[in-house]
Amino acid sequence: MSGGERIPGTPRYRHHLLKNPGTEPFFPNFLLKEWIAGAVFLTGFMLWVVFNPVVLGDKANPDDTSFIPVPDWYFLFLYQILKYYPGSDIVFGTVLVPMIGALLLIFTPWLDTSKERHPYKRPLATLSMVLMTFLTIWLTNEAAVQHKAEVAAASGQASSGLPQVPKKAPSQITLVDTNMPGYTLFEQTCATCHGKKGEGGFGPPIYAISKYWNATQLKHFVENPQGGMPKNGTLTSDAQVQQVVDWLEKQTG
Amino acid sequence: MLKKAYDWIDERLNVTPLWRDVADHDVPAHVNPAVKMSAFVYCFGGLTFLVITTQILSGMFLAMYYTPDITNAWYSVKYITDEVLLGNVVRGMHFWGASLVIIMMFLHMLRVFFTGAYKAPREMNWVVGVLIFFVVLAFGFTGYLLPWDQKAYWATAVGSQIAGSIPLLGPYIQTLLLGSHTVGALTLARFFAIHVFFLPAALLVLLALHFIMIRSQHIAGPL
Ligand code: HEC
Repeated sequence: MSGGERIPGTPRYRHHLLKNPGTEPFFPNFLLKEWIAGAVFLTGFMLWVVFNPVVLGDKANPDDTSFIPVPDWYFLFLYQILKYYPGSDIVFGTVLVPMIGALLLIFTPWLDTSKERHPYKRPLATLSMVLMTFLTIWLTNEAAVQHKAEVAAASGQASSGLPQVPKKAPSQITLVDTNMPGYTLFEQTCATCHGKKGEGGFGPPIYAISKYWNATQLKHFVENPQGGMPKNGTLTSDAQVQQVVDWLEKQTG
Repeated sequence: MLKKAYDWIDERLNVTPLWRDVADHDVPAHVNPAVKMSAFVYCFGGLTFLVITTQILSGMFLAMYYTPDITNAWYSVKYITDEVLLGNVVRGMHFWGASLVIIMMFLHMLRVFFTGAYKAPREMNWVVGVLIFFVVLAFGFTGYLLPWDQKAYWATAVGSQIAGSIPLLGPYIQTLLLGSHTVGALTLARFFAIHVFFLPAALLVLLALHFIMIRSQHIAGPL
């Protein structure tokens, strides 16, 4: 071992007498202090564990394909990358991007070969790492938010318990009876969320809702909506709700 | 008495040089939070190791009750959670510890990066560190399946499908992971074996290399 070693036989607790003040022996001085830091850390950890009990989900059921899968949170950034390369580009998300990331990480010491160690004196390296860190955190968060929305949407679907109108391009939708007063009200209110042609947007598609729901179900949902849908779709009078429902009743796709 | 016992062992095994190497080195001031509070960033590596140690311990206790087959795995985890004395705490340690290892390791990596500690002559230790990172991710991936609940099953199903979509090698990787074409009995047995035998062996070797290199190259000097 090269310099900085304690000469055997030097008293341990008088490290200020050593020629390099500020250093102290690893054992026992430093380790004892470290141990206190470690003990505090472990106590915090155990408190967290005790107050956040882990729940066990339902037993695995390979037949239940409605379960929305999600990886553990530290894989979410990789999972999110996949979503940006759909279809035949998937290989970018599965192999290329993660591979490039892994290689960059492994070969960091040979990419940043300057003698400078201070982060300010090698701005390119520092900036890249800061960016990568933020990107990873952002991707993780994005995946978590999207998964949450997916679960919420799926459970909303389950609670209304009724069939859904399939998605369709607005150009292929023909609305009927657009001279009815309900249509004007639809355009003014519902369309902001469900699209000008009811093709869906923030809310699900409803252009052909009456093919799937009857008038009672429709009226009941609009008056007692679930999920992100406001009560009466922001209409203020029962008469108006009735008019919109009357018009939607004609929309059978 | 203690000294006598120590001497008895030392005479036979010559442990003093070993002991000196492990314990008898000076800790430089710039990494010592007792000297300068901001040096706490140098603790992340040690804390990662501390959490890994608790993971090994809690994992050993979980293995006493866990059964790696698809009919019993879920029930054994349920038994650990609901019946075994402190079972929920041990399981909680292992569950949350998995995330904590990742967090501490990430912080440690950022510290090493921003202090430029990976520069010559410490390049190899950086590479070993990155390999440890990958091994820990593999721990996470295999461990996630073991409770055999819905989220475990479907995460692995999707994960293996993604692996299977890789051109050329994909189907082989998928078969290697799953043991068949879907997630099932073979997959669970294999993930268990990987999680409790293969990966710990790899991790311990890599950690040993990591620490030996720190001892022989010392901590990088002050900035
Ligand atoms: C603020 C945006 C918003 C407005 C305005 C709005 N909706 Fe909705 N609507 C939603 C959302 C979000 C949902 C999905 C609710 C859920 O999670 O089930 C929804 C769901 C629906 C559904 C059920 C569709 C399905 O397939 O589950 C109907 C029918 C509906 N809205 C009709 C209307 C009508 C009629 C109006 C106008 C009077 C209206 N909405 C106005 C946001 C809106």
